[in-house]
Amino acid sequence: MEAEANALSIRGLSKTYDDGTVALERLDLEVPVGTFFGLLGPNGAGKTTLISAVCNLIRTSGGQISVFGHDISTLEARRLIGVSEQDPNLDRFLTVREALVYHGGYFGLTRQRAKERAEAMIDIFDLQAKAEVRAPKLSGGQRRRLLLARALLHEPRLVILDEPTAGVDIELRRELWSYIARLHSQGTTILLTTHYLEEAEQFCEDVALLAHGEIVARATPDDLKHRYGADSLEGVYLEAVGR
Amino acid sequence: MITVSPWRSLLALAGRECLRVSRLWTQTMLAPVVSSVLFIVVFGLSLGSRISGIGDVPYDVFIVPGLAAMAMAQAAYSNNSSSIFQARSDRYIHDVLAAPMRPWQMNVGLSVGGVYRALVIGVAVIAIAIPLTGAPIERPLALLAATLLLVVLFGALGTVIGIYAESFDHHTFINNIVILPLTFVGGVFYSIDVLPSPWEEISHANPIFYMVNAVRYGFLGTSDVSVALSFAVTAAFAVAICAWSQYLFSTGRRLKP
Repeated sequence: MEAEANALSIRGLSKTYDDGTVALERLDLEVPVGTFFGLLGPNGAGKTTLISAVCNLIRTSGGQISVFGHDISTLEARRLIGVSEQDPNLDRFLTVREALVYHGGYFGLTRQRAKERAEAMIDIFDLQAKAEVRAPKLSGGQRRRLLLARALLHEPRLVILDEPTAGVDIELRRELWSYIARLHSQGTTILLTTHYLEEAEQFCEDVALLAHGEIVARATPDDLKHRYGADSLEGVYLEAVGR
Repeated sequence: MITVSPWRSLLALAGRECLRVSRLWTQTMLAPVVSSVLFIVVFGLSLGSRISGIGDVPYDVFIVPGLAAMAMAQAAYSNNSSSIFQARSDRYIHDVLAAPMRPWQMNVGLSVGGVYRALVIGVAVIAIAIPLTGAPIERPLALLAATLLLVVLFGALGTVIGIYAESFDHHTFINNIVILPLTFVGGVFYSIDVLPSPWEEISHANPIFYMVNAVRYGFLGTSDVSVALSFAVTAAFAVAICAWSQYLFSTGRRLKP
């Protein structure tokens, strides 16, 4: 087991899909413990593929991934990750409360602990009125809250947020960022992808720009702005990604 | 060092699958029981009085084992194929794939719903059929073993098809075009001894014929073919299809792009 300097360590990660599309090619990435890390790039750059590789959702073509020093193939590594995917993927047969309790079970929590955590998440994400409602009857914002609640239920040390505020109104967006910032201040490592560059600039301490499956730039937002002579991360993005 | 209990994860996943079956009980359990009982009433009690028995066994008693087997096989298959296809289609299977579970835990956990559903239906059909027809259970242990092999086999087949299916049509196609016809010609409603050559010989190539006979032996204590052969064929198919579904979970083929 590696020393716990990095929450996420990726070496030579490659992914070629069955149709021949090369999504990632020998990508290296290290995310130090406790960092609020932003992974930015255009659609098709490979962000979701990278996240899916870390979360055991795709078969990789090569490379190594470790989470807090645990190889990604181990149960320990998966226990440490919480992911909120871009598109809601909620179990249509379960209510909000059941979705959270069963998720806790999948991640090895006792039934009692899973219930306690589910109630805590329902309170934090203001889902009390919808606790007995099934996913298909939730609004877009409520689904997003539930996705985040589910991702955080088992108290992961690495939280992966793939476009967490896509399609979310400004009020909820503010609430979500407030909670995520609090989580980060408590030591949780955050890996964020977003198309809202002002959010990345405000929250991320470390940013990587991904294009065509490769990291084309990586630094703090201020260093990136300085390097590219831009006055915002948006300027950096347009310059580095070249679109 | 973090320890992850393999049993909690497995129990949670199995619990979720059983909850889905129970929540949709009119569709998943009541409907198959009603249709099986209708078969017994129409073919056994009504038309059966005009059909001479099969050997020494009255016709309404003869069809009970095959109907119970058919209902359980279809339930185990349909449940797992639709549940897994739905989970893939809506992508909530990601919550399972990302969880700290071994491939065998995912395989077993996702397959339990079909076994549970099939056993509930089997018990209900038997509980109604016995007082209606007077069907005996001559070999309870053999019946239990044959039933378990049957539901595990068809549950695993449902899991495999649920993983391969690209649309709901695919899983209903296997049920309607493969399982149902093979079950009907597998001796549910007749003894293959009454078939002329070459149909009797051809029937021996139908694996479901052996599964129906293993279940029938449990009820009636008699079988159209060797009991050992019936159990061996059923067990061999069960092992092969379970190995296939485990291969899919272990490699991630079709489950993960």
